[in-house]
Amino acid sequence: MEVSLEAINKSFGSVRVLKDVSLHFPSRKFVTLLGPSGCGKTTLLRMIAGLETVDSGLIRFGDKVVNQLAPRDRNIAMVFQSYALYPQMSVRQNLAYGLRVRGTPKAARAEAVERVARILEIENLLERRPAQLSGGQRQRVALGRAMVRKPDIFLMDEPLSNLDARLRITMRAELRRFHLDLGATTVYVTHDQLEAMTMSDHVAVMNSGMVQQFGTPAEVYGRPANLFVAGFIGSPPMNLMPGRIEAENGVPVFANEQSRVPLRHLTQRLQVGQHVVLGARPQDLHLASSTDEASAHGRVWVVELVGSEKLVDIDLGGKRRIAVQVRADAHVREDDPVHVRIDPAQVHVFDASTERRVFEAA
Amino acid sequence: MARRLRGFTLSDQAVGVLFMVPFVLTALFFMVYPIVEAVRMAFFSYNPLRPDLSAFVGLSNFSYIFDDQLFWTSFWQATVWTSFSIVFQTLFGVAIALLLHQALPGIAIFRGLLLFPYIVPTVVIALIWRWIFNPEIGIVNYALLAGGVISERIYWLSTPEMAMASTIMLNVWKYTPFVVICVLARLQSVPLELYDAAKVDGAGVVRRFIDVTLPQLREVLIVVVVFRTIWTFNKFEEIYLLTKGGPGTSTFNLAVYAFEQSIANLKLGVGAATGVIMMIMLSIGSVIYLRSAGFAREETHG
Ligand SMILES: Nc1ncnc2c1ncn2[C@@H]1O[C@H](COP(=O)(O)OP(=O)(O)OP(=O)(O)O)[C@@H](O)[C@H]1O
Ligand SMILES: [Mg+2]
Repeated sequence: MEVSLEAINKSFGSVRVLKDVSLHFPSRKFVTLLGPSGCGKTTLLRMIAGLETVDSGLIRFGDKVVNQLAPRDRNIAMVFQSYALYPQMSVRQNLAYGLRVRGTPKAARAEAVERVARILEIENLLERRPAQLSGGQRQRVALGRAMVRKPDIFLMDEPLSNLDARLRITMRAELRRFHLDLGATTVYVTHDQLEAMTMSDHVAVMNSGMVQQFGTPAEVYGRPANLFVAGFIGSPPMNLMPGRIEAENGVPVFANEQSRVPLRHLTQRLQVGQHVVLGARPQDLHLASSTDEASAHGRVWVVELVGSEKLVDIDLGGKRRIAVQVRADAHVREDDPVHVRIDPAQVHVFDASTERRVFEAA
Repeated sequence: MARRLRGFTLSDQAVGVLFMVPFVLTALFFMVYPIVEAVRMAFFSYNPLRPDLSAFVGLSNFSYIFDDQLFWTSFWQATVWTSFSIVFQTLFGVAIALLLHQALPGIAIFRGLLLFPYIVPTVVIALIWRWIFNPEIGIVNYALLAGGVISERIYWLSTPEMAMASTIMLNVWKYTPFVVICVLARLQSVPLELYDAAKVDGAGVVRRFIDVTLPQLREVLIVVVVFRTIWTFNKFEEIYLLTKGGPGTSTFNLAVYAFEQSIANLKLGVGAATGVIMMIMLSIGSVIYLRSAGFAREETHG
């Protein structure tokens, strides 16, 4: 079942929480709503579920407008951040509740519960109460409750945020597998970009009630559409340097006091004198040995070891710093003078006033 | 760690004990002593006008009580008055709490007003109610007659059934707010996601009430019912101020019975023995109720 949102608006009192949100979620895909806290992800998800009203705009499941449908009539399932298991019911009763309410016969109910419990490997927990379960087990029960009804659309609101770091990593893979097995359209809410990048087919990056970019994880990471996405996606965050465009032998060159980068591939797209922001991921920068190929010069400010890499913070002077990621065995020490090579093919250029990406000519 | 106190050095424990001493003394003097004294008196004959004739009489106060038809009548009436009071104030309390829990404009005013019956002293309320229920000039009869609901006056406080009904109404009116406040406080802590989950599962309003709200209210309702039962069963002033136990003895409960034995009949020992019997009955009743309601067992779900 595909889900379309068309120009959705929502205000709580005088606060506009969602502004003209339009999105299209293809059938059977895993789509993530990603954004910082308070950007309206949960609100949007609850609207798809029918738990929140829409001020204006249309929500379609397939061709059908569902704005007026109650949650129970949308054939959706939802996993809540707190899991929201019914505390007085056993796991078995929790799993069966949706079917019981809908009047499914007892035998069919028992069979569905057994099937789900087998898939999720919680058969031995069926008689327990939610309070007698660990966080990970509760999470499985919540998933089970959602899958027992074979929903068309599967909604999840930060289902991993209550788990410890290790469990979160295992559950990421399980959720992805779970989505593939279930064959439903999954809409997943998170503020954790790692979750979004690892699990999703498509990511909608949101900020302050607006969709900033919608694309595959590779697109969102590789070609961020604006400054917000550029700064939000990627860890360690992208280096962003303001500067102006100058011309050199007919080629536009990004220039500021600390660095110069020729931007041959953007010749048609940039004007001399244009204010831009140059973005370069620490992974895409390199320390250079000689001066001539370098695009910036500075002094090592700090070196941080992050697992198999070192993150080198370089002071370029003029209160400007740039982060470069190198292999852990690279020899860099604090206060060493270094040169940074900026590969023009690996940089992202944004117009400083619109904050939009300057795309290469097609 | 030690604390220095005006040059003395005291251990933390000693300081703790020191802080508790005033409370313990007060409790001993005002709570434990009267109870002990009452229990002692239950085994003595004691006429306050002739303290010199006071004597140990063993269990004869108790056998006097058990042979007294009025005791059993009072016991039965106390049970009736308590049961009806509790049932109605619980029902009304939950209903009103659910209503006040809605996020409607101006609801805060009603939440404030709610405390009114609970704050006003019982004496004032009882006196007002006596006026309200006055068959000749009371507003209840006036309103009912004017509204055409009844065609002749109801003698609210002077026929046995109506007197009982009136005392129950007074108790319900006064203590429903207590139930409302307890339930409202609990309602506000029910996780909203549970309702969302139930909606997604397909539960309608009624099912959500039965499967989400009620289970969450279970514990607070158990506590409320126990406390209200104890307090209502022992209640003296509402009945005494409204009907003085009358007409005749038709609204006697055990507290009024004990009072009549002690003050009117000058049998303080019998009054004390009644008190002891009430105490024992309520303790046993509470324990049985709490056990059967599953409150005493290890609570594992949350
Ligand atoms: N019922 C409500 N009444 C008023 N304001 C609300 C309500 N629900 C949400 N908001 C506001 O709407 C905005 C978006 O909330 P929402 O819960 O959708 O954020 P979110 O993106 O899910 O954030 P988080 O990652 O913290 O969960 C917030 O500013 C929040 O304060
Ligand atoms: Mg949220």
